Amino acid sequence: MAEERQKEIERSAEEIVESFVKAAEGLPSEREMYYSQEAYNVVRPDGKPSSSEERTEFRKRFIKIMPAKDEDGNLRVEVAKWVK
Amino acid sequence: MTKAKLDQLRSGELSPVENVRRALERISKLNPKINAFIEVNNDVVAQAEALERKLKRGKRAGKLAGLAIGIKSNINVNGLRATCASRTLEDYVAAYDAEVVKRVLAEDGIIIGVNNMDEFACGSSGETSAFGVTDNPAAPGRIPGGSSSGGGAAIAAGMCDLCLGTDTGGSIRNPASHCGVVGVKPTYGLVPRQGLIDLGMSLDQIGPIASDVYGAALLLEVIAGKNQNECVMLDVPKVSYADKLDGADIKGMKIGVSPQFSEITDSAVMDVIDKSIETLGDLGAEIVDVELPHIEEAMPAYYLIVSVEFFSATRKFDGRKYGKRIEDVCGDEVLRRILRGRYISQKEYRGKYYQRALQVRTIIRRELMAALEKVDVIVGPTVPKLPHKLGTKLTPMEMYAYDYLTIPANLAGICGGVVKAGKVNGIPVGLQVQGMVLGEEQVLRVMRAFEAVS
Amino acid sequence: MNMMVGLEVHQQLATERKMYCDCPTNYQDVPPNTNVCPICTGMPGSKPLSPNEKAVDAAIELALMLGCKVVVDKPTYIQRKHYDYPDLPSGYQRTSLPIAVDGELQGVRIREVHLEEDPGQYDPTIGSVDFNRSGVPLVEIVTEPDMRSPEDARRFLRQLIRVLEFTGKVRPEAGGAMRTDVNISLEGGARVEVKNINSVKGAYKALKFEITRQKAKLGRGEAVVRETRAYLESQMITTSMRLKEMEEDYRYIPDPDIFPLVIDDAKVQNIREQMVEPPHLREQRLVEQYGIQQAAANVIVSERKFADLFEEVAKEVDPKLAAMWFRTKLKKVLNYMKLSAADIEFTPKQLITLLQMIQHHKVTPEQGELVLRELVKKPADPKELVQRLGLERIEWEDLELAVKEAIRRNQKAVKDYLAGRKEALNFIAGKVMELTGGRADPREILKLLRAELLKKS
Repeated sequence: MAEERQKEIERSAEEIVESFVKAAEGLPSEREMYYSQEAYNVVRPDGKPSSSEERTEFRKRFIKIMPAKDEDGNLRVEVAKWVK
Repeated sequence: MTKAKLDQLRSGELSPVENVRRALERISKLNPKINAFIEVNNDVVAQAEALERKLKRGKRAGKLAGLAIGIKSNINVNGLRATCASRTLEDYVAAYDAEVVKRVLAEDGIIIGVNNMDEFACGSSGETSAFGVTDNPAAPGRIPGGSSSGGGAAIAAGMCDLCLGTDTGGSIRNPASHCGVVGVKPTYGLVPRQGLIDLGMSLDQIGPIASDVYGAALLLEVIAGKNQNECVMLDVPKVSYADKLDGADIKGMKIGVSPQFSEITDSAVMDVIDKSIETLGDLGAEIVDVELPHIEEAMPAYYLIVSVEFFSATRKFDGRKYGKRIEDVCGDEVLRRILRGRYISQKEYRGKYYQRALQVRTIIRRELMAALEKVDVIVGPTVPKLPHKLGTKLTPMEMYAYDYLTIPANLAGICGGVVKAGKVNGIPVGLQVQGMVLGEEQVLRVMRAFEAVS
Repeated sequence: MNMMVGLEVHQQLATERKMYCDCPTNYQDVPPNTNVCPICTGMPGSKPLSPNEKAVDAAIELALMLGCKVVVDKPTYIQRKHYDYPDLPSGYQRTSLPIAVDGELQGVRIREVHLEEDPGQYDPTIGSVDFNRSGVPLVEIVTEPDMRSPEDARRFLRQLIRVLEFTGKVRPEAGGAMRTDVNISLEGGARVEVKNINSVKGAYKALKFEITRQKAKLGRGEAVVRETRAYLESQMITTSMRLKEMEEDYRYIPDPDIFPLVIDDAKVQNIREQMVEPPHLREQRLVEQYGIQQAAANVIVSERKFADLFEEVAKEVDPKLAAMWFRTKLKKVLNYMKLSAADIEFTPKQLITLLQMIQHHKVTPEQGELVLRELVKKPADPKELVQRLGLERIEWEDLELAVKEAIRRNQKAVKDYLAGRKEALNFIAGKVMELTGGRADPREILKLLRAELLKKS
């Protein structure tokens, strides 16, 4: 059932893609516009990191919403399939 | 109306607590039918009380002091659930405040609750929320538009004073038009996105929804301005718009209108728009024809770009750290965009689809920029057709068609606002005003001038 | 056996803040999930801060160290590399396009260098993730498959580590600051990638295991499958990771939340000027400039301060002598006292004085070594130390007298020596040493003794 739904959705997803290809047919090649503005080398200096006080609140909340955790605060997830 | 209410709050005629209580009452009465709010903030009365105490102590009142504000459910508000109206995040309690929320709180705005929306902002109708459809208070039984459906409806129903929505392909302007309220999509990079759950990173902007232009302008100036903690932002310091609206005068302004608009739009809608353009002419503006020959191609290009970006944005929803795995529980349109994005971003298809769409984007932007060199703003319809009745079955393509007129502004990164222009059979029609990059002032001026006489 | 080995080395950079957020980078010193924020844990709605400038500059410097050409005047996009793994909080890794290409180290070509961020730490056996490390800046160095054996790879990695650590811009090796993926193909067969290697030894063992495994397969008539395997350190084996084919397409897109970098020539020049000379290049220069032996130069450049001291000293002392002393006696004393060159407290002038005394035969080498030890322990003017230790070189006449005295006193040994027992000479020489209080050069003692005893025979 789920696969059928996915197939149906995949199919309906294609329509706009085909529509685009048609629409773009007559249009010239251009530079791709990835960003709304031309800006480069926006970097930030290294320096004193955030203090532990700033992070304690977030840490509490982060650990609280974890679906599974251990008492040290690690997130618990699946074991790797390739582990023997 | 917003200014009047602010005056009342400042003078003490109306207390923040009273304002908030009234809002809560209206929400409690109307929300069961309209479903504009997913969650109401239990803490509001206490916050309003704290504000009152602060004001009594003589502290400076923030620009939004005492106003009840709804926040769309894809924006992180610490302590409230940011669900994006999806089962994926239905239990995700936001672990931090979005930057815009910080700014609203800093100006003493009171966050009354979380607005309903189309799931993950993937929609233009307000029908795809996992928590039920939203009704249009200005045209009951019809869609309120989307994806900021809850925001538009809440303002239309007077449930709160202001709302923050988001706009990626029209998601603020579309519901503003359908619900007969005011909405603004700011210039890309003007408003911080830190804390906004992405739909399309290069397209999303957070913006105000309000009952009047003043309210929208005020909320916009609170949230706008450079955020040091964000890379892709315009280098703009604080801005002010609201105090420039008094006696907004558009005499001599050049207002562009494109013949392509009438080609795309239903005549009933276009009639209202044409009348509005006449009004603008009567106010002293010069109406100029502008050509936007490829405006229709913007829509399919947009859907390819947004699908790729959305696919990328949703990889973090793997269910391990919070919430559930998105593909397991999401609705059809969300899945559609993920699968489409996954498909067209493959190595062998990138050039043909994703990169080609970005080339079309360049063309669209160039056309709009060229037009905005000739005129101060471009004016026209917001949506090509009237909002359909709730429950009507539309194909994805029919749904996407609502976005024809709003998408170009997102692709180009320019700003656009919507103000109520009139009605067709009682259904609101919004006038869209688009302006240059960082041209919010002109856009708001035209909107205000129009509002003052309509 | 014909084999091609290539490496992808991930090296953490020494910054205080992470690459795209301001969390601290000392992930090993704190409890799990402490150095975290919404950005490095991939919380919904989080956006990166702009890239850490020090990391960018360090990557350029490391690339120059490896003889690479920096990519200039072109946008270097930070891309999203998408794949599904528990340690990747956003479901993609931010990784830059190459910032430099076409380098070389020790005969191995460097294909490219780029910037990345570290994922979190995932323990695949228990299933736990700690995001403290997530977002720490990394540089990735990709080689061409120019290595031909596990020994080649080991040698290359050791040299690479030396070069990287020399810059001071990388985190020291302990604790996984450097991780390697190795790629190996035998006899032109399928390429196997082995991940999860945290040490040079690991890389060596992984390669050795792979060779054995693949040879066994080929021996059975089976083809080697192109795949990704994981190295299991405790068992020193590799095991298939069985990653789905889909994962191979990372669907790279430029990250819309980060503006591209554009490096220009001026920046490269600037970094080049401030750069420390890389050890492998300095080694060559020392050999050529001072005429010293390769082996000595190699030891000298093992620590930047050691080499600095050498060059200071070589201005005023015979470089070959200085090199010999640096390579053997000084290194020995430092090692014995568990000191690095940075810990040295004596001044270059003091060392120069000592070495000049040795060079001009004012003290014997053995005496010099004693003085050196004292110098390292507690710096002082070597001339004073020599006096204090009573080590002034004995006068020739006194030595002759001592030799004659020793011969007179040790007739039996003399008889033994003349009878053909050579070791008796050392015995007598020892007696001369006692008589002279260690102030004579043993070589000279032996010379004189032989000459004297020759007269007797």
